[in-house]
Amino acid sequence: MVSKTLMAASTRPLILAILAGGKNYGYSIIQKVKDISGGHLEWTDGMLYPVLQRMEMENLITSNWKLSDGNRPRRYYTITDKGRDELASELISWRYIWQALKGLTDPLKAGD
Amino acid sequence: MFDLEKEIRKWKKVLYKHEVFDDGVITDLELHLRKTYQTQREAGLPEEEAFRSAAAQVGEADKIAAEYDKNRLAALIRHAPLHPRRFLPALVWHYIKTALRIIRRRKAYTFINISGLAIGLCVCMLIVLWVADEWSFDRFHTNADRIFRVYRDESATQMFSTSALTPPPMAAALKQDFPDIIRSTRFGYWRRQLVTYRDKSFNETRYMHVDPDFFHMFSFPLLKGDPDTVFANPYSIVLTEKTAAKYFGEEDPIGKTLTVNNRFDVIITGIIRRDSLKSSLEFDLLSPFDILIKESLGEEVRDNWGFNSFGTYVLLEAAASLDNLNRHLKDYLNKKYSEEDTDALVLQPLTDIHLFSNLGHDLHNRGDIKYVWIFSALAVFVLLIACVNFVNLTTARSVRRAKEVGLRKVVGANRRQLIRQFFAESVLMSLLALIFALLLVECLLPLFNNLSGKELSSSWLKNPSFLLIFIGLALLTGLLSGIYPALFLSSFQPVRVLKGSMFSTRANPLFRKVLVIFQFSLSVFLITGTLIISRQLSYLRHTNLGFNREHIIYVSIHGKLHEQYNAIRERFLQHPDVLHVTASMALPTNIQSTPGTPMWEGKDPETVMEIKADFIDYDYIETFEISLVEGRSFSREFGSDPETAFIVNEEAVRRMGLESPVVGKKFGFWGIDGRIIGVMKDAHFQSLHHKIEPLVFKMFPDWLRRMYVKVRSGDMALTLASLEKTWDGMNTGYPFEVRFLDEDFENLYKQEARLENIFRVFAALAVFIACLGLFGLASFIAEQRTKEIGIRKVLGSSTAGIVGLLNRDFLKWILTAAFFAWPAAYLAMHFWLQKFAYRIPLEIWMFFLAASIGLAVGLITVSLQTLKAARTHPANSLKHE
Repeated sequence: MVSKTLMAASTRPLILAILAGGKNYGYSIIQKVKDISGGHLEWTDGMLYPVLQRMEMENLITSNWKLSDGNRPRRYYTITDKGRDELASELISWRYIWQALKGLTDPLKAGD
Repeated sequence: MFDLEKEIRKWKKVLYKHEVFDDGVITDLELHLRKTYQTQREAGLPEEEAFRSAAAQVGEADKIAAEYDKNRLAALIRHAPLHPRRFLPALVWHYIKTALRIIRRRKAYTFINISGLAIGLCVCMLIVLWVADEWSFDRFHTNADRIFRVYRDESATQMFSTSALTPPPMAAALKQDFPDIIRSTRFGYWRRQLVTYRDKSFNETRYMHVDPDFFHMFSFPLLKGDPDTVFANPYSIVLTEKTAAKYFGEEDPIGKTLTVNNRFDVIITGIIRRDSLKSSLEFDLLSPFDILIKESLGEEVRDNWGFNSFGTYVLLEAAASLDNLNRHLKDYLNKKYSEEDTDALVLQPLTDIHLFSNLGHDLHNRGDIKYVWIFSALAVFVLLIACVNFVNLTTARSVRRAKEVGLRKVVGANRRQLIRQFFAESVLMSLLALIFALLLVECLLPLFNNLSGKELSSSWLKNPSFLLIFIGLALLTGLLSGIYPALFLSSFQPVRVLKGSMFSTRANPLFRKVLVIFQFSLSVFLITGTLIISRQLSYLRHTNLGFNREHIIYVSIHGKLHEQYNAIRERFLQHPDVLHVTASMALPTNIQSTPGTPMWEGKDPETVMEIKADFIDYDYIETFEISLVEGRSFSREFGSDPETAFIVNEEAVRRMGLESPVVGKKFGFWGIDGRIIGVMKDAHFQSLHHKIEPLVFKMFPDWLRRMYVKVRSGDMALTLASLEKTWDGMNTGYPFEVRFLDEDFENLYKQEARLENIFRVFAALAVFIACLGLFGLASFIAEQRTKEIGIRKVLGSSTAGIVGLLNRDFLKWILTAAFFAWPAAYLAMHFWLQKFAYRIPLEIWMFFLAASIGLAVGLITVSLQTLKAARTHPANSLKHE
């Protein structure tokens, strides 16, 4: 299982990455995260919504309401330019961390 | 049977309890729940289990709400409004409309509130005008912050601790010795001067002499003439506009000649505008200082460092260090003039002179920062009392407004909007009050000028900064008096208010009590102050001074008049209504100490004693009806009197330690040896601020400067007219300018008299406003208790009993107020009385009287209302709802 802290840190880039592929709504975003991670990333679904609101406040994403199946209103999120920039820099950061971790752990394996 | 929709409704109900979830969020979450439920159903779970699982998947409402709360906080911090704007401009007009409606509906209430606020504002505005006027002194000069007056700090010797008077050579010497001092001027006069143009002549008391630098240091605008050349001719003169008009009317004065003291001529080279400029330098005419030395003082004075008689002003280099200069000036006199001179020179900023200066021998009438504080504090008091009225009345009326608040809340107003609405009301009231206050200021300005000794005009209307200050003041008053009602009224809970369970009797009694007590404390404080100040003043006026100053007029005998003194005296004495004619050097109110210690028989060489001395003519003791305890007065029968006779007062005898009989003992000063011929009873020649000091009279015919004429009480105007006729008939060459001695004595207490007036007016205002509030409050309380009163009457209460019942509360409040006011008043008045060497004792009855006055006025006000309520027929009051 992924730790809570890491979950919190990774939620935002994951959401940004999903939205980079096209606009989406809350339920669907969560399902995607779950699918991609193969069940390793799990959260209480309701906790996603405040994060989305926060990202909207920071102008990383925008939202608008649309009527969908069954005439229920649904809030769709779209990534903004600022969000794309943020995603790019997050990707780089994550890559650095990954490389650093790999660099440290590979010799250990070799030493076994 | 499981009902999904019902379960979802239940689930949503929990969400609605959290304020942070707006409709959008709840829609989001509901959709999420439904989708998850659907997925679980598809996975094969039974309905109820699928719902439980989906709900668990969405998560606990508390935790989600906590996250949203964090976002809201972040939004608040970053000022990024998360919600749609709460301030709706469309509502502003609505706020104003509601406020206007309230104002229209409740006329009496509005009247009380607005008139209270208007009076408070008016007083504050007058004070603002006054303070601004006091503050503006000397600040119009371009170089105001670089101009300083040089004064002597004489703390090393004992006579006065400071003196604004400096010797003639100092200005030039300072400029020469200190590169930081780039310009300097003397500023002074020498007695009054008779100035004549053709048939017009006036005794000029404000004929000043300055150096040419004057025009480059100060920014008095020259309407005519060039600052570089006005004093090119050593015998030139510059007049103020007003003075020029006095002599020349419409004529152009430039190039015309004025004659001074019938001795020499000066030519007019410039006209200066001074009238509207607030300056501590007072003058009507200006001439080069050299004229004074050549014509009045004599050449030997030019370099006399001991001749301390004039002001010295300097202009510093922009970068000069004041501390550095003051350090060097400390022992400047000691090095420059004499080793015995230990006086330090100090630079005093020009802008401090009017309000912050308290130097000895100062030349002019000064303001006093203390009065600025007293005035400002009183103004704030009155405004506070007016604000308290507003708060009090508004909260008292809360019963009426509670239902309104409840309804507004029910139809969706949030608290902030209500707070805004109540602020709109209070601000609107205070703006209305401002309009009345502006009108009031216009009406009261003359009265206020009289009170404050100022000449303020309504020119502030043209001055936008004043108008802005006034509007700001009104807004501040509105906000200040609106805070409590706004918070209090908007906090009502609609459920309780609409049920009618909230206000059974009186709302927030404690707070209102505190406010009323506060108002009345201030009122009682001011009444006490007024009472004690006027007691002290009447004590000052009616104390037996030890001499009679009534029906004495005096004429200055300067210049050539001095030579004619004896002739005038003889002629005046022939007049049937003239009782005595005498003369002296100094006015009795202004007898100065003489330098050095006198010598007397049996004096211990170590003893130091300061003594005041005046030089007088025969009949002085008789004219002023000073009683002698021993010996005799100066008399023509004793040829040696003008040379060697002294009359001292009892205090001098006591201090010298002379034993009876004192008459005949040796006495002298300034190297004049003589004997004491009489001892006079101690008399208060000085104001009662000061203790009686040792005093000596000596004859000195050459030094007489003032002639006193004691006339029979009767038709003063007639006597004066015939004396003037005699005077004119003698062709003295001087106008007959008389003054009354008792006016001079009255002037000693001018400040106190002014303070008394101010206190009286402010106390009256404070009591009036407080009573307005009390009146309003009493009427509301009576209204609230209408039913109670009705029932009491039905059960047999008398009108008096009910009035007593209603008044009891107010009585308690006012008495409590007195307990707070007394110590404050005691301290303030005790402190004030310390200024007087002779003063009334503070007695308990004064405090009781002040409180009783407050109480009586308060009770009468309240009773007007309660009586009305108590007299209402119970049938009517019980119908009341």
